This record gives sequence, structure tokens and C-alpha cells, in this order.
Amino acid sequence: MTTLLQVDSLCKSFGGLQAIKNVSLEVEDGEIRGLIGPNGSGKSTLFNLISGVYKCDSGSVRFDGADVTNWEPHDIAAKGVARTFQLLRMFTEMTVLENLMIGQHCHVQYGPFAAVFGIGRVAAEEKRLRDEMMELLSFIGLADFAEVPASEMSIGQRRLLALGRGIAMKPKLLMLDEPAAGLSPVNVDNLMSIMVQLKKRYGLTVIVVEHILKVVMDTCERVTVLDHGEKIAEGSPAHVRDDHAVIEAYLGREMDDEEVRAAMAG
Amino acid sequence: MNALVQKSTASLDALKRIHPLMPWFASFVLLLPLPLLALNDYQIYLLNVICIMIILATGLNIVKGFCGQVTVGHVALYAIGAYTSGVLSVKFGVPFWFCLPAAIAVTMLAGALVGIPSFRLEGAYLALATLGFAQSVEIYIRVTNYLGSASGLGGIAPPSIGNFVFYDYFRYYYLVMPFMLIAVYASFAILRSATGRAFMAVREDALSAAATGVNVRRYKLIAFMLSAVYAGLAGSLFAHMVPGYVHPNNFTVIEMVTLLLMVVLGGIGNIWGGIIGAILVTIIADLTRDFYFYQLLMFGLVIVGTVLFMPKGIGGIIDRYFVSKRFVAAREKTAEQKRAEAAAAKSGES
Ligand SMILES: Nc1ncnc2c1ncn2[C@@H]1O[C@H](COP(=O)(O)OP(=O)(O)OP(=O)(O)O)[C@@H](O)[C@H]1O
Ligand SMILES: [Mg+2]
Repeated sequence: MTTLLQVDSLCKSFGGLQAIKNVSLEVEDGEIRGLIGPNGSGKSTLFNLISGVYKCDSGSVRFDGADVTNWEPHDIAAKGVARTFQLLRMFTEMTVLENLMIGQHCHVQYGPFAAVFGIGRVAAEEKRLRDEMMELLSFIGLADFAEVPASEMSIGQRRLLALGRGIAMKPKLLMLDEPAAGLSPVNVDNLMSIMVQLKKRYGLTVIVVEHILKVVMDTCERVTVLDHGEKIAEGSPAHVRDDHAVIEAYLGREMDDEEVRAAMAG
Repeated sequence: MNALVQKSTASLDALKRIHPLMPWFASFVLLLPLPLLALNDYQIYLLNVICIMIILATGLNIVKGFCGQVTVGHVALYAIGAYTSGVLSVKFGVPFWFCLPAAIAVTMLAGALVGIPSFRLEGAYLALATLGFAQSVEIYIRVTNYLGSASGLGGIAPPSIGNFVFYDYFRYYYLVMPFMLIAVYASFAILRSATGRAFMAVREDALSAAATGVNVRRYKLIAFMLSAVYAGLAGSLFAHMVPGYVHPNNFTVIEMVTLLLMVVLGGIGNIWGGIIGAILVTIIADLTRDFYFYQLLMFGLVIVGTVLFMPKGIGGIIDRYFVSKRFVAAREKTAEQKRAEAAAAKSGES
């Protein structure tokens, strides 16, 4: 196994608040990694740093053999990193299908000139793209809504669509920020089965941030835990579940271990 | 109404099957006899103006409607196109067919210049910056003797092909109309391609677009330059139309408001928006020209009204009709599937 993503002593502060302190992280090719931590522990900030949305103060990010520290977000995306946003940020006025097609932006080979003059070639390319995206839409279960604006979708459907847009980018690494938030229990199960299939079907490496611990505990091989911007634990789900620092971070010192374990298993 | 819509979509599809460009050729043929239906020369003049305005408004819709960049400097680009063409023709005797590409090239560069502030500025701030640009261009023209200052630049030669000179409105229509169709075709082709999707993504959410791999600055710049190409084309066509005369009054804030009204009323971000708006507003402006002094007030009120009560304009209302039909169809399909599944489960149980 080779290392796909290597984050080395990353730091980021906002004014006086240090949101990420010296975080190092290695993700293997083909791994499904969980990233958990209490609210405000810096999970989304870490995603934003890796995907280039925020610039880091110090430290480095290496991805797929290149130093991508502080690259522009679109360059990092082109290199093979896709991410979803906690607040979705879908293109609501565009149709569901267009939302997926835009994910393929880096893989489209023609520009505005060809669109005007190269009718045949562009039409063929668009058709290929459309067919491929329709297939992906059926995979995430939204095929019937292809031509409907994303603004008409429910929050749960939009979560699925965000996941679809990430897959459409054909990335090497897919980072999911709370993909199960707002999903009904049935859809949470759906999501988990999709996540497991992602690896088989698209060969993706996945990092998933999730508050519904069941999702992380059941699908991830390894889990990293952040608290107050610091990495406090890392290991298999079972190992992390029993880690004292984690239990303290999550639930404070008052609860006894049995209760905590029950909560985390739930 | 339903039947009519179905029939027209069906015939459009049939045309497309013959050749993808067939609908455009059909429109060309349909538009050919239009000046013959006009009652007088003035109406033919209006047809020409409508064509020029369609080009101009379609261009503005690309940058403003599709890419979401709030620019109010578009009229200045139109002026730059018109004056580049005019000066080349009047001062250097350059024929129209060379003036036109030169005007487009110069305007495109100016468009890139207007676009650069959009890297850092958004919304009202970008509007202010581009307004400043537009005002400077207008004032510069007014005070520069070389450009005819406040008395305008006259004597711009009409275009010709061989011995055929487009010297009156009737003839000019057969120059302007094909250019208009080509410009509209190009806008459809681009906006329905990956480039158009990238524009819309930038408009909807620039950060999300970047994370999806869209180079936001590059696409903003492309949108500005593309819309400038349209402005340059429209400006050049306007300058060479009889009487071959351009005046700073053709490029004032009033013209900008009129242009904005076209895009807003027609449907901002709607592929048909510029066309619908240019036709309607040109005709309305003409019908109300006796009340010239109230026009700006009226246009302003209509813009406010449109933004408040039908933010996506007339094109948006038409779109809405199709979208809601599709949505209902999709929902029914899903419901039907669920019912079928439930029925299957039931028969499985028993
Ligand atoms: N752009 C910003 N400006 C200022 N502070 C920020 C910014 N982004 C994040 N923060 C702060 O950084 C800290 C970490 O936030 P972050 O969103 O990464 O937490 P999180 O682990 O994703 O939490 P949650 O589970 O609630 O999503 C928080 O205290 C937050 O207020
Ligand atoms: Mg978060």
C-alpha cells in the first residue's frame, strides 16, 4: 500500500483562535478513513486546508506524489481531490444532471471555440458525458430528477447529489463532510452501502467526517479523532472507541465508561 | 396551449435530426422576408435596431446572467466598438470588413480590462467600478476632438460586398440579421456547453465551483471578453449603419438602463432572455418615444417591478412552465415505482 495523502504538522489560526494545531495525518491508497471530533474541533477546517479553500499558516500537504500545500482549489481538484461541503453548496439553479456534469469539468476536453465550431465532436462528447452521468444518477438513486433544478430537492436528496458531484469528478480522494446529516435512517443505511461500494466501483480513497458515529464505526478501517484542533487519537474503530482521551473529549469526565460505550455504539 | 408547445418541440426535434444547424437555417429563411412586411422605412430601421440590441443584450446576459458578474459598463464597451470602427473608417479609410474585426479585438481587450476588477470585487462594488469605467469612457469621448467630441463622429462609410453597398435600412437588414443569428447561435452553443456550465457554477457558488475544478478567474475573464466581443460586434454594426454617425448620447447611462431592462425583463440567466428583452424593450421604447423624459423613470420602475415580482423575467416564466411539468412527471414516476414495489412485496408475502 502506498500513501496517497500526507499531511505534515499543519497549523491554521483565525485571529487568536488556533483551529488546527500541528496535525499530521497519513491516508493510504484505497482506505476509508473516519475523521471525528466534537463540534468546533477543526474537522471542516482540515478539509478546507487540504482542498485549498483555506491557506495554512505552516506545515505541508502532499498528495499523490506532489506537494500541494496552498495550491489553488481548482488545481487541487484537478489533481484528484474532491470534497463535499457541510453546508452542501450545490448549484441550486442548475438541474440535478448539470450539477453532476459540472463535476466532470476537469475531464472535458473542449473549450468555448470548439463549442461553436466543432459541432459534431462536442455533441459526441456531451452525449458521452450525459450518459455517464445518468448512470451515476441511477447509482445514487436520483435518475428521475435529472432535469429538475437542484433547488427543488430535499436536504437528503441534496446530500446524495453532493456525494454524486464528488464521484463525478473521478477523484482519487473523496472527502465527505457530514454526508449523513439530515438523512432519514433508511437513507443513512443507503449512504453506508454506497460508501462501501465507492471503493469497489470507483477505486476511491475516502475520508469521512460524521457525527453519526455508526456511519464511521461501521464503514471505516481507521479513525482519526480531533479535539480543539489537535489530533488526540488514531486507530481502528474498536481501539478509538475505548480510548480514554476520546471518551473525555466527547462526553466529559462525568459519564462512566459503560454509558459512553453505549452512546458511541448507538 | 399544451398541444401547441408539443407540436413546436416536435417540429424542432425533427429539424435537428436533419442537421444540428437546421433550426438556425430555418430561422434565417423565416427572417428573410421580414422587411417586406414593414409598413415604412422607419419600421425597417427598427428591425435593424432590434437585431443590434439582440446582439448587445445577448452578450450582456452571458456575463451578467450566466456568469453572475454585476457589470454596468457594457454600454462603454459598445461605445468602444462603435468608435473604433468609426475612427478607422473616417480617419483612415479602412473598409468595413477590416473595421469590424479590429473593433471586436479592441473591445475584447477592453472587456478583459473591465473584467479584472471582478477577481476581487463582487456585487455592488463591482457595479460601482464598472460604472466608473463607463462614465470615464463617455466623458472621454465627449471631450476628445479627435472623436468628434460632443458633436459626434459622422461620415462612417456603409459596408459593401463587391459593388453591393448596404446604404439603406432595407439593405442593411440583410447584413445585420445574419450577424445577429450567428451571434445568437454562438451564445447558445457556448452556454449549453461545458463553458456555460462553468459560468453558471461561478454564478451560483464561486467557492464550490473552484472546489469542483473550475478556474474561477479564468471563467470570469472569458465571460467578460466574450460579452465584449458581442458589444464590439454590435458597436461596429451600429456605427456603419446609415447615416454612419455616432454620438456620445448613444452611449449614456440611459442606454445602460435600457439595456439592463432588456436583460432583466427578458430573463436574466435565461438563454432566450436577451432576445425576448431586446425585442420587447425596443418596441416599447419606440411606442413611448413621445414621453421621452419619462422613459427612464418608467424603465427604472419596470426593472424594480420585474426584480421584485418575476425575478427571472419572461423567459423564467416560460422555463417554470416546463420545469414544473418535468418535476411533476418525475414525482409521479417515483410514486408509481413505490406503488409497484409495494404491490410486488404484497404478492410476495401472500
Ligand atoms: N473562516 C473562519 N473564520 C473564523 N473562524 C473559523 C473559520 N472557520 C472555522 N473557524 C473556527 O475554527 C474552529 C473549528 O471549526 P470547524 O468548522 O473546522 O469545526 P468542525 O470540527 O467542522 O465542527 P462541526 O462538527 O460543528 O462542523 C471553530 O471554532 C470555528 O469557529
Ligand atoms: Mg464541520
